[in-house]
Amino acid sequence: MSSDNPYIPMPVEISKIIDEVDTHDIKTFRFTFLNKADEEKFKYMPGQFAELSIYGKGESPIGIASSPTQAGYVEFTVQRAGAIVPGLVTAALHDMDEGGKIGLRGPLGNSWPIEFLEKKNIVVVGGGFAFTTLRSLINYMLHPDNRSRFGEITVIYGARTPGLLLYKDELAAWEKRDDIKTIITVDKGNETWKGREGFVPAVCKDVAPSPANTVAVICGPPVMIKFTLPVFFDLGFSKENILTSLEMRMKCGIGKCGRCNVGYKYVCSDGPVFSLAELEELPRDF
Amino acid sequence: MKKTAIQKISDLAAQLMQKGTLIAPVQEDAGFNFREVSDARQVDLNFYNTLMSPKSAFFPQMEDFVRYQTGKSVLEAVPVEMGLKPVFLFGVRPCDVKSFEIMDIHFSGTGAVDPYWQKRRENTVIFGYAFDVNTPADGADFYSTLGIGAADPEGSDVFMMKKSDDLLLKAVTDKGEKLLADMSGLTDATPDDLKYFDETVAAGRSFKTRFTCVEAKSIAKKFEDLFHKTPFWERISDACLSCGVCTFVCPTCYCFDICDETLFGQGTRRRVWDACMFTDFTLEASGHNPRTKVYQRLRQKVCHKYSYHVRKYGVISCVGCGRCTRNCPVNIDIFSIVDQAMKE
Repeated sequence: MSSDNPYIPMPVEISKIIDEVDTHDIKTFRFTFLNKADEEKFKYMPGQFAELSIYGKGESPIGIASSPTQAGYVEFTVQRAGAIVPGLVTAALHDMDEGGKIGLRGPLGNSWPIEFLEKKNIVVVGGGFAFTTLRSLINYMLHPDNRSRFGEITVIYGARTPGLLLYKDELAAWEKRDDIKTIITVDKGNETWKGREGFVPAVCKDVAPSPANTVAVICGPPVMIKFTLPVFFDLGFSKENILTSLEMRMKCGIGKCGRCNVGYKYVCSDGPVFSLAELEELPRDF
Repeated sequence: MKKTAIQKISDLAAQLMQKGTLIAPVQEDAGFNFREVSDARQVDLNFYNTLMSPKSAFFPQMEDFVRYQTGKSVLEAVPVEMGLKPVFLFGVRPCDVKSFEIMDIHFSGTGAVDPYWQKRRENTVIFGYAFDVNTPADGADFYSTLGIGAADPEGSDVFMMKKSDDLLLKAVTDKGEKLLADMSGLTDATPDDLKYFDETVAAGRSFKTRFTCVEAKSIAKKFEDLFHKTPFWERISDACLSCGVCTFVCPTCYCFDICDETLFGQGTRRRVWDACMFTDFTLEASGHNPRTKVYQRLRQKVCHKYSYHVRKYGVISCVGCGRCTRNCPVNIDIFSIVDQAMKE
């Protein structure tokens, strides 16, 4: 019963590890499927997540950082947890090398609503480590097969320091393109930093994207979200046109175990992507 | 319809044991519970209701998923096969039978299908068993509030009721019909038995447990509006110990954890019952926890059953079996919470 059992992970191998930040606690893991059939079954869209599964340690729900346009592998950017709650899975994963094998369950959850985003201008706003499924979305939209389906793309991405920016090579490549406007900011620069300084909400205010036919996709730490949303309201964005991805403790990932229940939604299967209008329908219990 | 003398119930049990696994109410030190029967003489229908709900027949407290060895590759982990024999779940009260239908919507009727629940359900024949409509209900019960009768045959494959010294057995589904046709030692019911059966079902529908007027959509809305009234929730949860017993005895609570248990290099990944009443239930790796307070967790349990579930699946996730009330060490009573909420 394993082949169609959603609780049994499929085996994958770590084919590449990228050390993303100067604090070395965030790495991107590239996995390849050990069974070809699993790879074909693992059809995902940007915004979805999967359970990274290590027997003896447990499972962690992590957003998919690669884009479905990148065939043959799937990537996850994982922070080593454990400052407050012991992060058994992420610690074990961080201690593994290329060639290591783990389990993967997914893809899980809904996705960024691609059909809804089509023919619209997209403003992507990211803060810190919460940039992973946004990266998936950006790379998906930038793919030659897809670019013409979307209007103008603006990316506003911030981190505390230059060393904490994820996907540095890609950010540099996007900055050189003329079909995407990329604005990178850090809270505090250093001696080599030549870019912008300032908090994400202030930069959003400064950039002031027009709300006309535009959807804002916003992910970041709670404090960033708290101060960024009013900026977009002031700019005239409706709650239907502001999207985010919710986090909640999860186990099964398929809407059965009850853990991520908020109001009448299960974050894992009804989300994690919600519009602000949908979130306002839910009790403040997350 | 068939019948047998109650005295000969162990013959019936013995036949079912030959065909598969028999799970029936068995008297234990603490009271009656559904157990796999090893001796047909253990089967005893002189019980009011079981301490634990029968949900464990389909959703056992522990369900093993995978066996693994530490230090070995993920490729060597072996999924646990269920290896099920046909199961006969015998003597289930109508309110508990109703809980299976509510759980079906969640586990196999909507979204992803839970293969364990579905396989166990498909593999089981349910023998429902009417409450005695001539004896008052237990003071904790309130299934009539939820529109459930004391002798509702719906949801069972075979429905049973006592008639003086006899046990009447009526097939409700094709599965039940086939099984009864295949059993020996049963006699055909008389026209008088048929009349008695119908009258009892009708009497069961007007049988009163504790009752308050509850309509699914309006109670769901009521609790949505009450969500932010913290003083209400603080008051009703004042004595709550967060022990979780209400969730474990509940026939419609389905929250579970998935955990790895390793001993001397041999491990099992399994699911185990969990409860929204526990403080670490929603504790995230970041340290954030949306429900650190007792009132927030009791609110989650009550609102989930009477509000969120209604909005998501269209039904209240409670059958009024009274177990949570009977077993709460500090006398918290969900019926009275619902009743108070309606008056807020």
